[in-house]
Amino acid sequence: MSFGPSDPPAEGRVRVAAPRVQARQVPQRTSVSQEVAEQSAVGEVMVRSLIRSQLRLALVVTAGFMAALLISWALVHWVPTFADWRILGVPAPWLLLGIGVYPALGACAWLYVRAATKNENQYRDLVDEK
Amino acid sequence: MNPGIGYTALILVSAATIFIGFYGLRVSRTTSDFYVASRTVKPWWNASAIGGEYLSAASFLGIAGLIVISGLDALWFPIGYTAGYLMLLFFVAAPLRRSGAYTIPDFAEARLESATARYVTSVLVVLVGWFYIVPQLHGAALTIRTTTGLPSWVGAGAVVVVVCFTVVTGGMRSITFVQAFQYWLKLTALAVPAIFILLMLSGTTGSGPAIPAGTELFPPPDPLTGDSTYRTLSLMVALLFGTLGLPHVLVRFYTNPDGAAARRTTLIVLGLLTVFYLFPTIYGVLGRVFLPELAANGYPDATVLLLPGALIGGLGGEILSALVVAGAFAAFLSTTSGLVVSLAGVISQDVLGGSVRGFRIAAVIAAVVPFGVAMMTDSLALAGSVGLVFAFTASTICPLLLLGIWWRGLTDAGAVAGMLTGGILCGAAILFGAQLGADSPWRDLLTQPAAWTVPAAFLVTITVSKATPYRRSSSVSRFMTKLHVPERPLDVENPRTQSG
Repeated sequence: MSFGPSDPPAEGRVRVAAPRVQARQVPQRTSVSQEVAEQSAVGEVMVRSLIRSQLRLALVVTAGFMAALLISWALVHWVPTFADWRILGVPAPWLLLGIGVYPALGACAWLYVRAATKNENQYRDLVDEK
Repeated sequence: MNPGIGYTALILVSAATIFIGFYGLRVSRTTSDFYVASRTVKPWWNASAIGGEYLSAASFLGIAGLIVISGLDALWFPIGYTAGYLMLLFFVAAPLRRSGAYTIPDFAEARLESATARYVTSVLVVLVGWFYIVPQLHGAALTIRTTTGLPSWVGAGAVVVVVCFTVVTGGMRSITFVQAFQYWLKLTALAVPAIFILLMLSGTTGSGPAIPAGTELFPPPDPLTGDSTYRTLSLMVALLFGTLGLPHVLVRFYTNPDGAAARRTTLIVLGLLTVFYLFPTIYGVLGRVFLPELAANGYPDATVLLLPGALIGGLGGEILSALVVAGAFAAFLSTTSGLVVSLAGVISQDVLGGSVRGFRIAAVIAAVVPFGVAMMTDSLALAGSVGLVFAFTASTICPLLLLGIWWRGLTDAGAVAGMLTGGILCGAAILFGAQLGADSPWRDLLTQPAAWTVPAAFLVTITVSKATPYRRSSSVSRFMTKLHVPERPLDVENPRTQSG
């Protein structure tokens, strides 16, 4: 049943109405950042997915780095010919453990910071979308 | 060695430290300056300061000493120290900065809403800090003894006095400047003599001792045994997970303005550590050839101090020796002052009410107790004893931080049970391990305990937490949001006050 302006009010009744154009506007939708602040179900889902993606990222990069360490360790101990390679008189195992590991470490760190910042920016974009 | 070198270096470093600390005093005016440098330290300063306080006696003297003794395997130490920072970056840096807590006990209380968890954490943090300061003082004692011939307590005492003075007068702000300066001093002190020695040995400058013909500079890796595999693995567990929980490292992150800056800072720190760790290896390798008698006499850690003087004669050698001794002192001073600041933060907040005066009293307590311990104990190999502190931290504070940041299910009961289990297991292993003879089959398991105590601590924490789900903190969702959601840029308005 609708009460459009065309329907006359029923017998004995008076229509009381204010023009809609003067009505105070109520926000139509709650913004996502408000959901997060209110810990509503939607906000909770967003935060959980952010945490999950950050944790997954950290674990993946850690696994990669650990694998690189393990390979270095295996090369040094299990591949006897590896010790015969020399650059400027320094045997390869010393070069690998003394110098070579560090650029790999720096690369992991840099990749992680880039990806983690990207995750956060995505989250921020999603939340600020109104 | 000419004792004048030791005196000059000691006095110069102490004077520079006190001067910079005093300069910091003029800019530190508020309580916030005192505790967190008002959270306004720029990433470069902060990274230098972190590098400054992280590179301790173990890095400056211990790694080279260990290379002299055990060759290639010692290189896992600097890898572990640096990779520990990687773990810190991945799992802790940004969330911990956002937590808004100042110390690890603050974090425990905010996350778990439990005073008991807070007290247990406080006790462990203070223990870790004290046992980390002790090897620094041993290093100072060794340095003074080898360079001036004075008794051991002079070196350790000088470090305690200078640290107390800078911390008590300037707080965190001046400590930041002091430590940033000390990182660059340490790097210069290792790099410049190393470059001179290398130039001399390669024959480009003048004459000097040459590498005896037919000497193998680089010993091949030891044959692989089950023991050495276990030791390397356990060491890596200790160093990777121990760095996460070091109190002086964490307190630094609160001086970053936000979580992203905390990450950038860590990235720079990794670069600074990488550059630094190139040099102890050079000293270790050359020390094996030119100063083998040090290892035989039981002072391999003095290799770095004596090598420049032994290889480069005359005035040049003396100046380079003074530089190395100064760098070593910077290492003891910066690590000790970083630890003292963080311990003073914990002690003063928990016991003395958190005022600036309480902070000063707590700083003195934090420095004097380990001085007593250091005087009563003998120094082990520096890198080894610092490694044990990492094992202890990894078994106690690391589970609390990692699970607290990433797992909603952690309860106060679980955290306390895990920390106590890890602490008791690891502490007992270290104490009993020190009593065992070299041929005991349990020796490796007890002297390098991290490989089994860290998993045990995690297991107990998780099991007890799962058994006590009703004890979960009621505000865990809100706290997790705070830890992981990036900070808003300040100019964005609160959505609630906006009308549509």
